[in-house]
Amino acid sequence: MGDILGLVGKRLGIGLFILLVISVIIFFMVELLPGDIAQAVLGQGATEENLAALRKEMGLDKPAIIRYLEWLGGAVTLDFGNSIVTGERVTTLIGQRFMNTLFLAAYAAVIAVPLAIVLGVLVALLRYTVFDRVANVATLTSISSPEFFLGYILILYFSVNWGMFPAIASLSQDMTLPELLHRTFLPALTLVLVVTAHMMRMTRAAIINLLASPYIEMARLKGTPPWKVIVKHALPNAWAPIINVVALNLAYLITGVVLVEVVFVYPGIGQALVDSVSKRDFPVVQACCLIFAATFILLNLAADVGAILTNPRLRHPK
Amino acid sequence: MSIFVIGYYTLLLAASCLAAYFNKRTWFLLVFSLTLVSFILGIVGGASMLRGVAIAAGMLALSAMVAYAFREFLIAIASNDMAKELRTAPLTAAFGMFVIFTYAIAGIFAPWIAPFGEAEVISTAFAAPDGDMLLGADQLGRDMFSRIIYGARNTVALALAGTVMAFLLGALAGLLAATTGGWFDQVLGRTSDVIMSIPSLIFALLMLSIFGGALANSTTSFWLMFGFAMVTGLLVVVAKAENNVLSWLVGLAILVGVSAAFSLGMLTIFNPSEVILILVVGVIYSPRVFRLTRAVAGNVVVMDYIEAAKLRGEGKWYLIRREILPNSTAPLIAEFGLEFCFVFLLVAGLSFLGLGIQPPTADWGSMVRENATLISFGDITPLIPAAAIALLTVAVNFVVDWMLHRSSGLKD
Repeated sequence: MGDILGLVGKRLGIGLFILLVISVIIFFMVELLPGDIAQAVLGQGATEENLAALRKEMGLDKPAIIRYLEWLGGAVTLDFGNSIVTGERVTTLIGQRFMNTLFLAAYAAVIAVPLAIVLGVLVALLRYTVFDRVANVATLTSISSPEFFLGYILILYFSVNWGMFPAIASLSQDMTLPELLHRTFLPALTLVLVVTAHMMRMTRAAIINLLASPYIEMARLKGTPPWKVIVKHALPNAWAPIINVVALNLAYLITGVVLVEVVFVYPGIGQALVDSVSKRDFPVVQACCLIFAATFILLNLAADVGAILTNPRLRHPK
Repeated sequence: MSIFVIGYYTLLLAASCLAAYFNKRTWFLLVFSLTLVSFILGIVGGASMLRGVAIAAGMLALSAMVAYAFREFLIAIASNDMAKELRTAPLTAAFGMFVIFTYAIAGIFAPWIAPFGEAEVISTAFAAPDGDMLLGADQLGRDMFSRIIYGARNTVALALAGTVMAFLLGALAGLLAATTGGWFDQVLGRTSDVIMSIPSLIFALLMLSIFGGALANSTTSFWLMFGFAMVTGLLVVVAKAENNVLSWLVGLAILVGVSAAFSLGMLTIFNPSEVILILVVGVIYSPRVFRLTRAVAGNVVVMDYIEAAKLRGEGKWYLIRREILPNSTAPLIAEFGLEFCFVFLLVAGLSFLGLGIQPPTADWGSMVRENATLISFGDITPLIPAAAIALLTVAVNFVVDWMLHRSSGLKD
């Protein structure tokens, strides 16, 4: 077990290092602005005194390295400073929204993951039949459509024409869980459509790859029933690619959520990011970007670790 | 029982009987399962549902016929070698090619096809369709149809330019890294790892928050584009000049001139904020292209004929251009198609968020957002530009699918 822990620790170290590099990129990109943030906030017409006061307040009179370390120290303790538009603390601004986004992503994932894996395995078993061809065209269409296209089609049918679900997913504190699930069904369904298509294709590819290996052929030739070939011979080796597929697509879910939140006016962190980009509210942009990047890296890390745990060959790298 | 219902079933049954008689198993299954599906849906949903099924089936059959005819047309006009390749194309790929062809025509001849200008206000806001305006007016009273036609030009041109930039930088870096190896390869590889571990939409938003707004003026965008062109060109100079000081100097001098001319050219075609968008796309997607090119070229570099060329004393540029590139074109072309889809969706998404192509330029992503209110009245007009985006992406994906299948020799 020791070597597994070592390998996982090593991956974790690499992940943390990449996150550190990304935090440097996120922080110092803002430094590329001509003049500084104070100038960008107050505009060209600002007086020298106002600029100096704002610089002092934001700590811009210190060197960039010190400010970066302070920002990083704050970020580790979940303190991202204050918004420069509203003056509120960034943490209170995006804390609840982050939980909302996580809820939406989890909702979509709970539906999409089992659905996609079952359908993916099914399509792999029925490969080169009409069913497979239709599934291929359908998933390709779903992947190729922008998220807002799917979202608006769902709104048009499910909420405008048939009146089954609300088009706007606004939330309030005193909602019960069924009410919440009903209210957020359409955004979750949009995400499910996109992510399921991705996952199905990747699962299909992984399984077909596996079914081509000689030991599966051997099992078939010795007369093992087809379901047994899948369950006893193929599945144990299929876990690694499937875990990989799931983790990668959950990472995809994190970015797909931005457009979906805007379509459905869902109070999530993606909406906050888009708003603050157009208002040029840099502390909020930086915080959101760091959170998204961290989640993305974490899920990719989970994919790596899952692959190591389920595939003994990866535990002994040559 | 209306005439439509009777006629529909008669037609379907006659077709399936014919197919069965002539032993066309697939056709029979296809037509007869359609009959069964219409039967069930007809009972559940009545004649209107049946009409919907008939229209959907008719559309599918129509696009299949268009695809078939277009493929035969291409085979007829292509040279012998090309025709042989085209014969292997499935109907989906032929359909994809037809759609791409249509978009190209719409984009190139937009000013002649569109009845009105893209920013021309000709009517009241959200006016209904009439004889002049095929699809009605948008939120400012501009002709929706003309704007969609112009969108084919603006949106696709921008995505194409971004993809080409990403591809030039990524592919050149990948080829050079594969031939050079060593620390150069390592540095590029790790850099692309870091950039790829930021989600693309998030990274694009971060960069646009900085370079958007006041910074999107011609001076800044010129210098940024110039820098990008210099970096890309530097890779060529490195490969070509090797250790010769004189050729370095000549190469650099030419490079500065070409980059400046190129950046000026880009600025005359696109406006500054679009140039920034193209650069953002280039920076985000070049690492992906780099990865793939590096992997493909890495497999070629270990071949014996490369060793022979090296022993002959050929330079890096010769190796890249004459030995590696011809042996990795197929996967690279497929990758270009795939990257184009990603870039196109990213640009459309950014425009939809109001951060991409700026008004009054007609663009599909922002058109969806501007007219989204119409959807709550059950009007599908705002969905047309979104569908246009989806259709092009699907089409490119169909073609890429076929090419990948062909080039990989995947017969699984």
